[in-house]
Amino acid sequence: MQDNPRRIATSSVSPMKAIGQPTPRIDAADRVSGRATYTRDVYLDGMLYAQVLRSPHPHARIRSIDLSRAKALPGVKAIVTHENCNYVWGAGSIAGGVQYNDDLKKITKQRRYAFNNPVRYVGEPVAAVAAVDRHVAEEAVRLITVDYEVLPFVLDQEEALKPDAPKLWPEGNISLTARNEAAPTVSKRGDVEQGFREADHVFEERYSTAMCHNAQMEPRSVVAHWEGDKLTVYTPTGGIANCHHDIARDLGIPDEKVRVICHYMGGNFGNKNQNQDTDLITAILAKEAGAPVKLEFSRKDDFIGMHGRWPTVQYYKVGVKNDGSLTAIQLRTVSNMGPYRKNNGGVAGIELYECPHTESTLFPMYTNRTTSANYRGPNDPQGYYPIQSLMDDVAYAVKMDPVDFILKNMVKDGPRTRFTNYTLDECIRKGAELFEWKKRWKPVAGSGDGPIKRGAGVAFMSFRSGVGNSSAVLTVDARGQYTLYVGVTDVGPGAKTTMNIIAADELGVPLSQVKVVWGDTDTCPYSVGESGSRTTIMTGEAVVTAARDLKKQIAEKGLPTGTGLLKASASPNPRVEGKTRNCFGAHFVEVEVDTELGGVRFLKYVAVHESGRIMNPLTATSQIKGGVGMGIGMALHEDLIYDRRTGIPLVTGYYFDRIPTHLDVPDVDVTFIEADDGYGPYGAKSVGESGMIQTPAVISNAIYNAIGKRIKDLPITRARILGALA
Amino acid sequence: MSTDPEKPTEQESDVTRREFLGTAGAALVVAAAVPGVAVEGQTARPAGTPSRPRTQIRLTVNGAQRRLEVDDHWTLAEMLRDHLRLTGTKLGCERGECGACTVILDGKTVYSCSYLAVWADGKSVTTVEGLAKNGALDPLQQAFVVHDAPQCGFCTSGQLMSAKALLSANPAPTVAEVHAALAGNLCRCSNYSRIAEAVVAAGAAGATRRTSGGGQ
Amino acid sequence: MKTFANANARSVQDAARRARDARQTGQHASFAGGGTDLLQLVKERIVSPDLIVNLKTIPNLSQVTRSSKGVSIGGLATLDAISRDETIRRDYPVLAEAAASVATPQIRNVGTIGGNIAQRPWCWYYRNGFPCYKNGGNQCFSFAGENQFHAIFGGGPSYIVHPSDTAPALVALGATIRIAGPSGERAVPASEFFVLPRQNAAVENVLADDEVIASVDLPSPVAGTRSRYFKVTDRETWTHAVVSAAVVMQMEGETCRAAHVVLGGVAPIPWRLPNVEQMLADQPITEDLAARAAEAAVAGARPLSHNAYKIPMTKGVVRRTVLQVAGKT
Ligand code: FES
Ligand code: FES
Repeated sequence: MQDNPRRIATSSVSPMKAIGQPTPRIDAADRVSGRATYTRDVYLDGMLYAQVLRSPHPHARIRSIDLSRAKALPGVKAIVTHENCNYVWGAGSIAGGVQYNDDLKKITKQRRYAFNNPVRYVGEPVAAVAAVDRHVAEEAVRLITVDYEVLPFVLDQEEALKPDAPKLWPEGNISLTARNEAAPTVSKRGDVEQGFREADHVFEERYSTAMCHNAQMEPRSVVAHWEGDKLTVYTPTGGIANCHHDIARDLGIPDEKVRVICHYMGGNFGNKNQNQDTDLITAILAKEAGAPVKLEFSRKDDFIGMHGRWPTVQYYKVGVKNDGSLTAIQLRTVSNMGPYRKNNGGVAGIELYECPHTESTLFPMYTNRTTSANYRGPNDPQGYYPIQSLMDDVAYAVKMDPVDFILKNMVKDGPRTRFTNYTLDECIRKGAELFEWKKRWKPVAGSGDGPIKRGAGVAFMSFRSGVGNSSAVLTVDARGQYTLYVGVTDVGPGAKTTMNIIAADELGVPLSQVKVVWGDTDTCPYSVGESGSRTTIMTGEAVVTAARDLKKQIAEKGLPTGTGLLKASASPNPRVEGKTRNCFGAHFVEVEVDTELGGVRFLKYVAVHESGRIMNPLTATSQIKGGVGMGIGMALHEDLIYDRRTGIPLVTGYYFDRIPTHLDVPDVDVTFIEADDGYGPYGAKSVGESGMIQTPAVISNAIYNAIGKRIKDLPITRARILGALA
Repeated sequence: MSTDPEKPTEQESDVTRREFLGTAGAALVVAAAVPGVAVEGQTARPAGTPSRPRTQIRLTVNGAQRRLEVDDHWTLAEMLRDHLRLTGTKLGCERGECGACTVILDGKTVYSCSYLAVWADGKSVTTVEGLAKNGALDPLQQAFVVHDAPQCGFCTSGQLMSAKALLSANPAPTVAEVHAALAGNLCRCSNYSRIAEAVVAAGAAGATRRTSGGGQ
Repeated sequence: MKTFANANARSVQDAARRARDARQTGQHASFAGGGTDLLQLVKERIVSPDLIVNLKTIPNLSQVTRSSKGVSIGGLATLDAISRDETIRRDYPVLAEAAASVATPQIRNVGTIGGNIAQRPWCWYYRNGFPCYKNGGNQCFSFAGENQFHAIFGGGPSYIVHPSDTAPALVALGATIRIAGPSGERAVPASEFFVLPRQNAAVENVLADDEVIASVDLPSPVAGTRSRYFKVTDRETWTHAVVSAAVVMQMEGETCRAAHVVLGGVAPIPWRLPNVEQMLADQPITEDLAARAAEAAVAGARPLSHNAYKIPMTKGVVRRTVLQVAGKT
């Protein structure tokens, strides 16, 4: 068995003590014994249970709501609807769909309330009930009668663009920019028309990608509790600090009157680094009822009420010369954002290539589907899949090996983009070698006898690893015991353990000599939150800074005496000036495609990544493997299908979503090329999202190599493979 | 609804019996120390809860005998979590589609979200809380720690219970056998190969212990 | 979840009578074998029982009994037990394989043969509570909607596919279903147990509301009988068959004397292919014959807007299963 992961140190990386050692999570014993407390495991005295009534219509105006029967049900304690609760959920709709902040709440015209009228998707909250137990709450919700004026609806983003499409907002269906303009987003470099004139071949293709759900294993739940004017919210959030501030702002109370607690969270995968409407709804119910309230989502609530990756339609036009060099890339993307804007809706991928002329136009469209938002690599896998599939086709057309084509055209460290360090070429070469690319890849796609055909594919990745602001507080007592306060939540990647490793290494003490306090805004300073794969980089940097400060204090003053403490607080806000800081990776996969039955089986999967210096190879490897597993679901199975005639979602749980199981995910051969570019804690870069980003692309390319047919829509189901072969 | 007086058939597997003999005392002490555990024969219901069909059941939970009054429509998971506060059993879907709620019932894994508490009358249930013995993690749990089998950890209890049942039937499984036996346990962190690694290692370690004559 | 009472049945007749009595007082009763699927339907409010009659307390209803006439499988035998039973694995491998292919280990541990063949459809319209034929309505939303997993044979007015894996195996094996009602038992051949929507679109089988499956009886296998169950799923586990085939052949050397070929996942009932069976009878099984059988298997298929892919898939399944049963692969 190979070393897993295989690690290749570049010259900039010298060994450290705790950092770089495969370290089991410090809380692993709690996780395997059932002691780890997730939100739904919180029980408070006198706690009520909440349920949400959701719209059965994709678009309707609420004329009236009759609560009389529900109120009459014994055990019902509070009911809220748009009529008695008009808080704006600031993070729920953002002009421009950029990272949310307070100013945007003021700018945004297309506001989203905790309860909206009209309702704009099936599953939108209409009312919420708190009752003595969950069964009464469920019963009460069924006794609420709502009189709806049903409005015309639109599900498809290209339909939404048509002039006669039903309008979700007075301003039209193109989502507003941060300047409240209803216009597509255009970005260009050079002149694509000139590029196409210079091309020997021009390729034009339409690709589509499906809406996928994050589908984290923990269904959303919230416990809210008021003590006087102080609100405590237990909620699964990837960012307690942001969630905390958002709740306070939306409810119009001071930050210090809100406490957010999230110690454990059953999976994040994006879109949880802010507050949710559920936090507000539960807090309001608790206030109304004068008792703690627990809101529990069913899996169906989670699927239809929350968010997923936005579906896209992408039209590419690519110019290439006979020698395989690119002259122009033009892209028109139509993204389906649902009725509110939670992200920009763009797709990544063009920036992966050196090309003199590029132009990208994005139409982020409102539709009457569940709102789309961040999901592991928000803009990335759905952009990587089309462009890297198309470039693969181009390579075959100009008779180049796809690996050579990538090496020729991929983004380079050069005058256009200066990277803090650059290893993309190394990742690709190393991957090709480990995978035995020359042996596994067939120059003639689709060749071979028999119904079962093999094929190999390659895809690559270059993903932001930016530095930025976060905080840490570190104390030491008279016995030399350290306590590290970090506002991280442990959502899966192991942030708490990583912070412990970094602190222990910097302090030169064993892990057990540093106690980590996390997941509670009353005790922890600001942390950037578990999104964008940046906790290690940003909060890790704050830990390093605090540890250095504390070491200095100890050197100057000695350890404290008695019950005294020495304390260091750090809030560094580093910058990378004039350079781009990215992590890099290349994936290779060999598949077997059954041309009679349409199935895809994985024979070999090689992933080579450069994520800077690896803090904990044990958990970092798990992240890559897990990312690939999720990518497989996106590539082959997951598709939140709606009934077109009624606008009702049909994929409302794990059975219909067909997320990968134990039997669907191969083991992944993981290699880390390690480097230290001088930024972040000892050169650490992003890991979490990077494993998933290129997975649909690499699978698409391997399937093409196997069967000689390009599937241009995700997911690549048996139906689509058999359809393409028919 | 009257309680069924019929003595249920004794069908405990060797494993559950062994666990029972080994830990009955300890488990009882632990249970008594957990705040909020229902009084024997009485399950606490908040004031104002409507009365519903209820049944007295007897069952063994992690080696301790319990007599409980349960609402007929409670699922086994609901009884374990809300009323015995054994919250290690997780709920990921409540529809029998994810496996987070897996417990061992008379030696076989079941989805406790999709099994009524009343149906467990006379049976023996093991939850994740019942794996550790005298405060020491089971070797399987230990293997999960070392091999980083939990990422977010939400599926972990269920994976452990399926793995425990597998190891009882097949003490040294292969990777493929582990994946097949745990196929009813989703992991959205997709940490499947880590989980299989851990179970195989626990099996192999157990096999070594047996051949070296220890702890059979 | 909705409130209901649980009643532990003592015998199949007791169960049937409790259901009948409940109905006579205007209550709705449901039977729970394993109960997994029932509880899912109750939680989704697709079924709303006032009384659940628990069959698990009936003594001896889960036994597999051998006799000179064959094997009798109690209606409450679990899928796990069936998949491991020595006799069934030896004499009726198609059934053991079908049982082993159902859902997940946890579901097979509690799920019963009776529950498996009587389970309700897994159509996403039905399961999401659309007012379709199966939910007491009068339309099938899949016909003009999302029908990628729906019927290519025997559809209309409902286009569900029968979800059971064991059902095609039982039809192919010539099983008999023994049904207990409040006032006695009746026996129905498996081939007549399932009901096409054009006969009654609201149900999938002949069971009355107060009837329970007491046993599934399999005739002794004729010498030389070989069988297999082949299932294609979308992901590797916990999905129903997209297409499946239960093939039972009586072989004499290379020659097939008699064949039973029944498809799953393609029709509202287990879909028997008499034309294919005739083609195979008294013929040596060759690659060529299997390929022709595969073509014949899809004669008369009528795909909907999104499920034409099931036609090549069905061909592949039939071809391979026939060859496998004949020992040609
Ligand atoms: S919670 Fe029971 S199977 Fe998902
Ligand atoms: S560890 Fe997160 S779902 Fe398995």
